[in-house]
Amino acid sequence: MESQEGAAAAVATRDCVLDFSRLSLNTFNVNNVSEDRRRDTRQLFLNYNRLSSLPSSVSLFCNLEFLDISNNGLTAICEGITRLTKLKTLLAKNNRLDEFSLPKEFGSLQLEVLNFSGNRFQEIPLQCTKLLRLQSLSIGGNRLKSIPAEIEYLTSLEMLYLGGNLISDIPPELAHLPYLTYLVLCDNRIQSVPPQLARLHSLRSLSLHNNLLTYLPREILSLVHMQELSLRGNPLVVRFVKEMIYDPPSLLELAGRTIKSRNIPYSPYDMPSNLVRYLDLASKCPNPKCAGVYFDSCVRQIKFVDFCGKYRLPLMHYLCSPECTSPCSSNPQSDAESEEENSVPADRLQRVLLG
Amino acid sequence: MEQTEVVKPETLDELIAVLHKIFESDTINVEEVQNIMESYESKPHEWTKYAKFDQYRYTRNLVDEGNGKFNLMILCWGEGHGSSIHDHTDSHCFLKLLQGQLKETLFDWPDRKSHGDMVQKSQRILQENKVAYINDSIGLHRVENVSHTECAVSLHLYSPPFETCQTFDQRTGHKNTVKMTFWSKHGERTPYVSNLSESDLK
Repeated sequence: MESQEGAAAAVATRDCVLDFSRLSLNTFNVNNVSEDRRRDTRQLFLNYNRLSSLPSSVSLFCNLEFLDISNNGLTAICEGITRLTKLKTLLAKNNRLDEFSLPKEFGSLQLEVLNFSGNRFQEIPLQCTKLLRLQSLSIGGNRLKSIPAEIEYLTSLEMLYLGGNLISDIPPELAHLPYLTYLVLCDNRIQSVPPQLARLHSLRSLSLHNNLLTYLPREILSLVHMQELSLRGNPLVVRFVKEMIYDPPSLLELAGRTIKSRNIPYSPYDMPSNLVRYLDLASKCPNPKCAGVYFDSCVRQIKFVDFCGKYRLPLMHYLCSPECTSPCSSNPQSDAESEEENSVPADRLQRVLLG
Repeated sequence: MEQTEVVKPETLDELIAVLHKIFESDTINVEEVQNIMESYESKPHEWTKYAKFDQYRYTRNLVDEGNGKFNLMILCWGEGHGSSIHDHTDSHCFLKLLQGQLKETLFDWPDRKSHGDMVQKSQRILQENKVAYINDSIGLHRVENVSHTECAVSLHLYSPPFETCQTFDQRTGHKNTVKMTFWSKHGERTPYVSNLSESDLK
């Protein structure tokens, strides 16, 4: 097995690719690469080595667009990486990184693809939420306990892979990502899906298998473009559960309801941003006779919906008050049976991977 | 049943040639096919052109049509991708790992009376280069790439070839017939214009 410096000369290069993968390198000496080659290199592979650190001199690869440092023993990402202004893809799977490993200015990178799967992150570091060009983010197989609300800053995000963590809640702010098409939350500890996720109009694929879901929000039916939905390995209720929980609404809720149902205009200049966000998260009551909205205070009912004639999904209906009824039941007494959901056309969610 | 001379196929093309020979006969020896497939040591540069991945779900990429006697295909599984529980429409199914690992979970056929959960019979992780075998009399299975960091690539042989199979809802045992499609054939991408009521789940 070749050792560090000798390998540099022997490595084959083609075009602007420098492949130093699988060489049992303990260190990476940037000086072994000529200045010309460093300037020309667009892709640098350092994966499958024994690097415990990456030297800051990697910034001398000033035109680097792609860097793969996966499968090493890295405990930190060097500060020099933030000077790679053209870097678009960073793959750092299977290392020993955690939320303290990133340099302070990491968020200034112009990254489009970032993969930290197979590390030791317990939190998504805030620097990651500043990567405004990020299209694809993978932090699968880590120790994440939650998803920060700041995830909504990643407005270019199309792909979010967070499978195999310890996540117990999905923040409704996730719904503010307008281009999200692929969302993976399998193998976590999620007990409920916020109905606001129904706003992810671009969502094509949602992976929720192996979680702690007992039902889904009814609003999930409005995700018109969804083609794949995995729900296996969840304790979804199979028998009807009649659960009428109604906490009287708070003053905040009542004020919010009034503002929304009377269409009183409001703007960020009128009130603190947290209240603007609260008002934006209002949900419409599904009762067609009720023009009301609700925020947190609602009546919850689980109804079974025959999905395209194939599967029975337990869907949670939220109604704004006990007086309201769900749109699919003309007879409130018939709650006990599963009903054909008339408002779900057969072409919705045709590829439900429940099996 | 005679056995063909045992020759270790060094390349994928050699494996395909041996398989053509073995399948000239009308009866097949499952062990023989399993051994031959297992003895081919996966060389990525030989199958890379068939290994076309899709972000959202696993893909089926046809490699060889076996003179009508079998279909040989390569399946590409991204992180977290898995199949439904499915049967094999009275055919033999051989599955060889070319890269990465796959979890296979076996299930019994649900009986008409029971309307509850399908209970798994057994589970195993298939390692690189290993070959698994299943047919309808053995049971049903689900195949998954449970890794969150690595892709998986598998080589499948089905004999006789089939285009539809049944998929099962684990919670209820309810089954559905589905049509199977190819993401690519012989290394060329073959987009499928889907009928709304169909789905490719294998």
